[in-house]
Formats: sequence, C-alpha cells, structure tokens
Amino acid sequence: MDFSAALPVADVVAFNRPAIDWHAASPELILLGFGALLTLVDVIFLDRAKQYTAALAGIGLLVTMVPILTLANDMSETGPRVMFDGAYVIDEFSLIMKAIFILSGYVVILLSTNYIAEGDYWESEYYGLMLSAILGMVVMASSRDLISIFVAFELLSIPSYMLATWKKRSLESNEAGLKYYLMGVFASAIMLYGMSLLFGASGETILTKVNASLSSDPLTGESLSSSTPVLTLAVIFVIVGFAFKVSAAPFHNWAPDTYSGAPIPVTAFLAVASKIAGFVALVQLVFVGFYARADVFQPLMWILAAASMIIGNLIALRQTDIVRLMAYSGVAQAGFILAPLAVAGDVGDQALASIVSYLAIYAAMNLGAFAVILAAARKTGSTSIESMNGLFSYAPGLAVAMTIFMFALAGIPPLGGWFAKFQIFFAVVEQGGTWAIILGVLLAVNSVIALYYYASVARRIWADQAPDGDLTPIRIPPSLGAALVLTVVATLVFGFLPGAVSQFTDVGLIAGG
Amino acid sequence: MVEIIVFAVCAAIVLVGAVGVIAARNPVHSALFLIQTLFGMAVLFISLEAHFLAAVQVVVYAGAIVILFLFVIMLLGVDQAEDLNIEPIVGQRFIAFIVGAATFVLMVATLAGSSDAITGQRQATGPLGDELTDNNNVRELAEALFTDYVFAFEATAILLTIAVVGAVVLAKRTSGEMLPVPQNTLEIREADYQARVDARAAELEANAAAAAEAGEDGSAEASSAAASDDDTADDEMADAEGGDA
Amino acid sequence: MEITSNWYLILSALLFSIGAIGLLIRRNPLVMFMCVELMLNAVNLSFVAFGDRLGDIAGQVSVFFVLVVAAAEVVVGLALVVAISRRRATTTADDLSVLRG
Repeated sequence: MDFSAALPVADVVAFNRPAIDWHAASPELILLGFGALLTLVDVIFLDRAKQYTAALAGIGLLVTMVPILTLANDMSETGPRVMFDGAYVIDEFSLIMKAIFILSGYVVILLSTNYIAEGDYWESEYYGLMLSAILGMVVMASSRDLISIFVAFELLSIPSYMLATWKKRSLESNEAGLKYYLMGVFASAIMLYGMSLLFGASGETILTKVNASLSSDPLTGESLSSSTPVLTLAVIFVIVGFAFKVSAAPFHNWAPDTYSGAPIPVTAFLAVASKIAGFVALVQLVFVGFYARADVFQPLMWILAAASMIIGNLIALRQTDIVRLMAYSGVAQAGFILAPLAVAGDVGDQALASIVSYLAIYAAMNLGAFAVILAAARKTGSTSIESMNGLFSYAPGLAVAMTIFMFALAGIPPLGGWFAKFQIFFAVVEQGGTWAIILGVLLAVNSVIALYYYASVARRIWADQAPDGDLTPIRIPPSLGAALVLTVVATLVFGFLPGAVSQFTDVGLIAGG
Repeated sequence: MVEIIVFAVCAAIVLVGAVGVIAARNPVHSALFLIQTLFGMAVLFISLEAHFLAAVQVVVYAGAIVILFLFVIMLLGVDQAEDLNIEPIVGQRFIAFIVGAATFVLMVATLAGSSDAITGQRQATGPLGDELTDNNNVRELAEALFTDYVFAFEATAILLTIAVVGAVVLAKRTSGEMLPVPQNTLEIREADYQARVDARAAELEANAAAAAEAGEDGSAEASSAAASDDDTADDEMADAEGGDA
Repeated sequence: MEITSNWYLILSALLFSIGAIGLLIRRNPLVMFMCVELMLNAVNLSFVAFGDRLGDIAGQVSVFFVLVVAAAEVVVGLALVVAISRRRATTTADDLSVLRG
C-alpha cells in the first residue's frame, strides 16, 4: 500500500532556518548559561551554596566580558555583524554598552554580596534575577527592531520590579516595588501603543526600515510629510514610555520613592544600569529609527531635557535623605544626557559620542556614590543626609572617596564628570541654533545649582561633627572595598585621561543609521 | 452588512466591558467585565483575519490571566467593595477624565487624518495567510516567529521562566521565624489611632455640650450622631489591628 | 458602508483611553492591573488592525509578544500584591504612603 498520498509530508513548506552567528550571540548565551547554573546550584546544594552564589554570578559576568572583547577585536576586520534581517546588530556602540552593563552589573554584585547575605531577606534567587536583568540590558544594546526592544525592555524590567521588593517584610520596600511596577507597566503600555502607531505609519518593525519608510514615500520616492500627525503621536508615546524608565521629568515621580524603599544595591542597579538601558533604547530609536524625523523628536527631547534638569535640581536642593538626593540628582543627570538628543539631527556623531562617554562616566561615579552610602549605612543604619556628618573623622578613606564622587558628579575638573559635561555642552552648542544655545545656558546654570547640593554633602563629611561623637570605624568587607576601589579608579582615570575614554566612546553613527 | 453588525455588536461588548472594569466597585465584577471585553476582542480578531490570536486570546487571557486575577482576589479576600464616592485626591478624577478624553481626541484626530498616507501593500514579513491554500494564518505566524523574530521569541521564554521563579520567591511565606513588625510602624499606628480617638472624644463632648444648651431635640440628635461615630471608630480600630497583625 | 481598519483603530483608541482613565482613578492595585490589561488589549487591536491594513503578518507577531509579556507582567504584579497583603490587611495604593517627600 502506498501511504505517501495520505501523509502530509509532501506539503511541508521548506523551513529556512535563520542564519545564526554564534560568536555574536555568545555574550547572551554565556549569561543565560550562568543564570541557569546559579538556579541549578541553588536547587541542588540549597543553603550550602549560599556563600558561593555571589562569586559565581560575578565570575559569570567576567566570563561574559571575554566574547565581548573578542568581538571588539574582530570588529575592525568584519565590520558590524547583522542577524535576523537587521533585528539584531553587533556594532561598536552595542559592544561598548554591553561592556558598561556587564561591568556595572559586576560592581552591583560586589555591593550586594554582604548586604544581601547579612540582611534578613536572603533569598538565593537574588543573583539569578540580577543576571537576567543584566541579560535584558545586553540584549537591549543589540536590539534594532521594535519587538526586540520591547522584549529586552521587559526582560530587564520584570526582574527589577521583584528586586525592588526584595525586603519583603519592609513596608517601604513593598511600596517601592508596587509603585515601580505600576509605573513600569503603565509606561510599557504607552510605549507599546506608540510602537503600534509606528508600525502602522511605516509598515515595518526593523528600525532601519522604519527610518527608510518614514523619510520617503516608497512608491514615489518623494519626501513624506502627510503621515506626520500619526508619526508625531507615535514618537511622543514611545519616548514618553522610555522617559519613565530613565526617570526624566515630568515622569520621575516613582524614582525617589522606589530608590529609597528598595535595598541599596538594587537602588544602585536601578539608578545606573537600568537607567542606562533606557538611554540605550532611546539612542537606538532616535539615531536609527527616527533619524529622518528630527523635526519630530528634537523639540520633545528639548522639553524633556530642560524639564528634567530644572525640576530635578530644584527638588534635590531640599532633600534630607541622601538616597532621595541621589534620585533627584539622577533626574537632573537624565536631563543632561537627553540634551544632546535634542540636537541629534544636526550634530549626530558628536551627540552620540558625548552621550556614550557620559553614560560610561555616569556609571562609575554613581555606583561609587552608592557604594559609599552603603558603607556608611552599615554603621549608621540610616540614609538620612545627617548620617554623612563627620564621616572624615571616623572613616577617612570613605570620606575621600565620597568627596571624589560628589565633585565628579558636580563636574569639577579634573574628576571624571567634567569631561562628560563639557562634551555634552559642546555638542549642544555646536549646533548653534537659538534653542540649542538656550539649552546650553540651561546646562551651565544647572551645573552650578547641582554643585551647591553636591558640595553641601562634601561639607557635612569634612566640617561637621559625627553624630553623638561616635567614632567607631566602619568595617568594610572585601567585596565592598573592591567595588569602591574600582569606581574610584574609574572616576579618576576618566577625569585625568579623557583621551582614553573618548578613544573608546568615539563611535561612528550606529550601524545602519 | 454582516461585517458591520459583527463590528457594532463586538465594539459594544468591548466598550461596555471596559467601562464596567473601571466603574465596578467590587474587583470580582471588574474581572468578569474584563472577560467580557476579552471575548469581544477575540471576535474582532477573527474579523481581522487573526485566527490564531483569537484562539490565544480566549485561552491565555480569558482562560489564564483573568482566572489568576480571580484566584488572587479570592485568596486575599480583598473583594470588598471600594467606595467610589470618596475621591482620594481632590480633582483627580476630573483631571483623569480630561487627560483621557484629550488623549482620545488626539489619537482619533491623527488616525482620521492619516488614512491616505498609509499605502499598505508592503508585506515586509509575510502575508496574513489565505484560507484556501496551505499557507494559512497559523503557518504564516509560525514562519515569521521562527525566522525573523526567533531571537525575541527565545528571550520571551527566559522572561516567562524568571517571572515564574520570581513570583514564587515573592509570594511564598518566608521560612524560619517571622521577624517582629519592623521599625516603629506599630507605635506610629497606635499613637495615630489614640490621637484620633482623643480628638473624636473631645469633639463629641463639645457637641454634647452645645446640644445640651440648645435643648432636648438637639441632644437626641447629638447622641445618634455619637452612636454612628462610635461605629466608624470601631471600624477604624479593626482596620488598624488588621494592618498590624 | 464598509468597515475599514480605521474603525478598529478608533475603537482601540477609545479602549486605550478608558484603560488610562481607569488606571488614574482607581486605587485598588488589582483593578489597576486590569486597566493595564485593557490598555494592552487596545494595543493588540491596533497592531492587528494595522497588520490587516498593511497585509503584513508582523502586526500579529507583535500581538503574540505582547500577550506573552502581559502574562508575565500579571504574574509578577499579582505576586507583589500577595507579598504585600501578607504584611498588611488593606491593599489600596493610597494606604501605601510610608514614603513621602
């Protein structure tokens, strides 16, 4: 009997397996492998694994750096690697951002080591969730289509919601998690609606194709202007969605509450890695997806940048809690990073390079500041700004480190921050239009305002008396010490040798943009 | 004609459900209204030739997500009605309506003005599928999913795994001894409660004194007011205790 | 009269606005999550309608991802609510006001 007529085999359409460049995907695969290994080790060894999980997570991150370095090494020969029809791209920008994510993730794990193990809220899944959030960021740096960006965004957000609630029995932490969650899902719904409009206006999901079809009519080749209302709305919705993530004013309300309620290492993670991931997505959308439509995104970025700088700085002036101070200063810093996007259409290369160097330096300074706050809180048990009083009298090393970070954040030469701020300033002024000059003036004025509150923290450290005259030194565990040394060295190197940074961050326009 | 009727009926079902979700006092009713909206959406999906998604909509959304909502509502016993007459932040609702209406008008205005500009017929990824051939909707969807979007697809697999792991960690009871209520929330609550009780007692006293001066009718009114006030005070006490337990 | 995809888009806009209003006026986190679901459904309808108009399967693929992610989000959100209600009896967003500043 002949069964072949009854079998559907002949009908099966040949499935073309997509070409996968395993070398390009190896950072993600290694991270995923270590995440799975962590979970497995935890399930098998239970409490006996407690002391090794942090080390294992740290090793995983360091191993992930290896393929990133080899990819960077190959970059000069092979050029950008493109997979899945342009949805996934490895170029200089994505490699630099991946390295920043992994190194800042490593510092956060160093900060977490003792904090999480000594706290009453130890759960072994902490590091697994942390690695998956970092995995989301690493994926984000390469995602060049709307769907991948959305999935990467959720992959980094969902573990963050849970990490912010990690102190389950603390009301503050509960509140931090719920607020962050509600704001996060609201933001992603808005962003998705914008993406659906963008898909409708362009008929594409791959960012380079979105850009191509937005800039000209595919049939006539003429410049397209009639879909501008839909496009404007789409761009506004997408950018507002990410503005929540980077805590740009007026979408910053969740940040201070979430930062002060979450465990301090998680706060550092949200304030640095998570925020940088939001900027990476914005940069990719602006420089690849919307680049032809500078008339739409530039005014929006101008407003966000100006509002964030002014609101962030003014509210930061009257904070009494150092973590909330850092949150509002983070809002102001977000304004600085958004400023070059407001002129990106005219001075693309320079704007991109200034953003990348700012992000690298921002990561080092902010992680360092949180490391000091964490160390000080080990003794004082509080994060109120008074707990910094007289830090010099009992912990001179920490006092010097904190002073370095504060002045670096304020942008005082020769510490890291000044180079970042100057690059942003020059990129903005370079454009030369009236609005750009106004933004430049705002940048300058806000730098001065910020100097006031950063310097007042430094003054407390050096000039004031320690509370109750208690001069017991702070015992700093080795991992925390390593994190402090790493961030101090990075901040100093970025400041004294800005050439070293710009050599890496002077990326050309993102591939395909 | 059939198309119009289907659209009209489903749109009505969807919108009534949506308004029901935000207007119902009881969260259980909100969840049931949500199911109504989701079923209406499933039919709309079919009329837009998204057959696979229509099935997924019913199975995943109505069948899993809303059931999960109902489980949590019942599990926690938070199905008490919320008093919608109290507006927590004055003017909040008004602003919310203005914002919502403005968004809607903006969206409709831009969409209505856009129809000519969107040319269609580009088919970047693949067609929607044709019932008459083997290239049906499910096959087209699967082919797109496992070629161009396979990386995002794998990423969602990780996402679902960590969501499950994280949810278990968050929701499980912590092993070992339960720590005392942290910090001074308890004292603050008690002090706060005591202060409110004192204030209320003083107020009642003043009322009673005023009523006594005013005469008999007034005092009767005052005592009934006092009785109802006692009820609310008891409720508050129950709330406070429940919160600390 | 013919039903064009614009009708679906306007329905989607209406649904999105209702969800957004609900999210802003309701205080019960569970109902707020449901409002987010309404907004995500509006997004789905808009993706499918655009996909139908363009004759492109990518719209439906996007919906597939939104569905999966929505499921993950709900799981995490409900776990948060359960974790919080272990600590306190009432769960409304206004009760959560330890942090103010």
